[in-house]
Amino acid sequence: MRNRGYAPIEDYALIGDGRTAALVARDGSVDWLCLPNLDSPSVCAAILDAANGGAFELCPDAPFTTSRRYLPGTNVLETTFATPAGSVRVVDAMTLSNGGLSPMRELARSIEGLSGVVPMRWRFTPRFEYGRRRPRCEWRHGVPVAALDGEAVAIPSWNAGSPAWRDAAVESQFAIAAGGRAMLALATAYAEPLVLPGRQCVAGRLDDTIRFWEGWTRDRRYSGPWADAVLRSALVLKLLIFAPSGASVAAPTTSLPEDIGGVRNWDYRYCWIRDSNFLIDALLQLGCVEEARSLFWWFLQATALTSPALHVLYRLDGGAGPAEREIGLDGHRGSRPVRIGNGAVGQAQHDVYGDLFATAWLFSERHQHLDRDTGGALVEIANHVCDIWRRPDAGIWEVRNGPFHFTHSKIMCWVALDRAVRLAERHEMPARHLGRWKQEATAIREFVERECWSDTVGSYTRIAGSDDVDAGLLMIPTVGYGDARGPRVRATIDAIDARLREGDLVFRYRADDGVGGGEGCFLNCSFWLVSALARTGRAREATALMDRLVARANDVGLFAEEVDPRTGAFLGNFPQALVHLALIDAAFTCRAAASTGQAE
Amino acid sequence: MNLAGSVLVAGAIATTVLTTVVRAGSELGLTRMDLAFLLGTAFTENRTRAKAIGYVCHFAIGLLIAFGYAAVFVVVGRSTWWLGAIGGAIHALFVSTVLVNILLPAVHPRMGTPETTANQVALIEAPGFLMLNYGSHTFLLNLVAHIAYGAIVGALVTV
Repeated sequence: MRNRGYAPIEDYALIGDGRTAALVARDGSVDWLCLPNLDSPSVCAAILDAANGGAFELCPDAPFTTSRRYLPGTNVLETTFATPAGSVRVVDAMTLSNGGLSPMRELARSIEGLSGVVPMRWRFTPRFEYGRRRPRCEWRHGVPVAALDGEAVAIPSWNAGSPAWRDAAVESQFAIAAGGRAMLALATAYAEPLVLPGRQCVAGRLDDTIRFWEGWTRDRRYSGPWADAVLRSALVLKLLIFAPSGASVAAPTTSLPEDIGGVRNWDYRYCWIRDSNFLIDALLQLGCVEEARSLFWWFLQATALTSPALHVLYRLDGGAGPAEREIGLDGHRGSRPVRIGNGAVGQAQHDVYGDLFATAWLFSERHQHLDRDTGGALVEIANHVCDIWRRPDAGIWEVRNGPFHFTHSKIMCWVALDRAVRLAERHEMPARHLGRWKQEATAIREFVERECWSDTVGSYTRIAGSDDVDAGLLMIPTVGYGDARGPRVRATIDAIDARLREGDLVFRYRADDGVGGGEGCFLNCSFWLVSALARTGRAREATALMDRLVARANDVGLFAEEVDPRTGAFLGNFPQALVHLALIDAAFTCRAAASTGQAE
Repeated sequence: MNLAGSVLVAGAIATTVLTTVVRAGSELGLTRMDLAFLLGTAFTENRTRAKAIGYVCHFAIGLLIAFGYAAVFVVVGRSTWWLGAIGGAIHALFVSTVLVNILLPAVHPRMGTPETTANQVALIEAPGFLMLNYGSHTFLLNLVAHIAYGAIVGALVTV
């Protein structure tokens, strides 16, 4: 049910091709599509501006209900519309190239009548540059084409009525009987002539795309509880990886609000260093060795440009992330501003050094040696960590009223030096500064134990000297700081559980962060709590919580960044990589805890 | 340097400049014209191979056309940058109205013409009059690129 033209965030499903992705609403409308790439301006942005954003609607021209699923083991969406007159099935996919001459990007919409005779309608409203520019509406060889400077979109259709341009939108109606088939395609071009596909070509690519995803899923390694959720998460993550570079976006959307009507609206279409660490871990566990290797080398290439200082996030091509600015869209259900670019790019976040070294260690430990140049670069970065860890930073949550001495950041600096020592001792990087790294790692540990522990709260604290707790500290057992079953780690998990948990969900903190407005519970924190419980010997509690969290996915198994604890509605960018990564880690951790019979 | 040598050098430099100007226009979002893609897809459906073949073809054609310019310069008995620039402007008009708009669709196996419809095989969008199907700035960009080409050939060829 739409509210002032906006579908709830949980009503969307994601389709993609490794270059870009589209969000399809339960009512059949493509409300988000950026072209030609994930981080390009949008052509469809009705999710951020129902009136002016642009959309590609396809649904019965009569009251209907829907049921949806991904075709098993694929990123191909199947929506079944039921109407009083009959039912119809729509299969949506971003097709993958099969070697023949195909459009630069192609969204295929295959329609099949299941029963009765169903009146259908479709309407494509292209709005380039985030809805700011209307296209030239033209025809090429009988096909409607929307063009604007260097980009163009064609809508070839077969048995789907007689399309006509009206008010800068192309639309048509048709009826489909049981057994009847129709097809629509959205064929796009950027900086090159359009390729106008034939029906058989589109149908062939759709079949090949289904086969590709089925094969990819067959190769994934996971058996155990929550297998469907883990495999769906793997499929989502594959869509978020930008195939040309191997980098991964944090989410394919911008400015889906963390609070309906609020100001916490951010652009997540960039690659965060910390996500890359989690992603490489997950990819290796799932048997996606090639994807992990690709991301690791992207990681080294991108960070080399700014080394020894690291940026928090990078563009998908490895360049420095763009500055943040506001654009004139209405915002999801009036949640303004809509931002593109991300202001976190200018922040100092010291935890990213721990993420980089954890990634290097992981990769070295599981797969291959680091080369001499990489080892040399890591030496410089480790020395940089020794220089900066005493300084305050913006922390993992990217607060805008800092900098502060975040406990999580200090611990991740310890992780950086701990892994540097281990890598040097394995001769993966030069050891000439080994003594300094050990000395500074000890100093960090002393600082954390002395300044970041509160006897009052009985927990490590969010900031040195404060009494606030921070869900980011649920990562302590994961990163290997201290004794996972020791009293301080267990007490910290208990304190977070008591102070930040609401039902099954966990807030990240309750302190002011300089942004204003409210936010929901962060789902990654909830899954981190599962992992923390499992790693600290509370496997049964972790498993029960995991069961309930997995059940909070939407009807096609996807998660947004946050959940409103009062209503259960999704909030924030969607689907979010970090949540699906945390889900995978929690599933593997629970499975391992169960297999080793860890006691309560 | 003899005439043939100067034509080869001038043609190579001028074609490089022309290609760079057009590609820069594409990257800046001013046009969807991609000469290498257009030429290469006449030989193969594989995008990567098509662009490689297209660049080679375009470079060879650029060298050949420089000999055409040289022939004109020999006939008029002089060679200057502005004479070459005028030739470039005429060249751009011919390319935009006849060569790419009419002749290329007629011989290109994967390009649509006014007689074809998109029902069975993939078709590359035809350029249209003045190649405006590829963006409203396309003709202007093409004109600038060809004037630069002609001026370079005119300046470097020694008659």
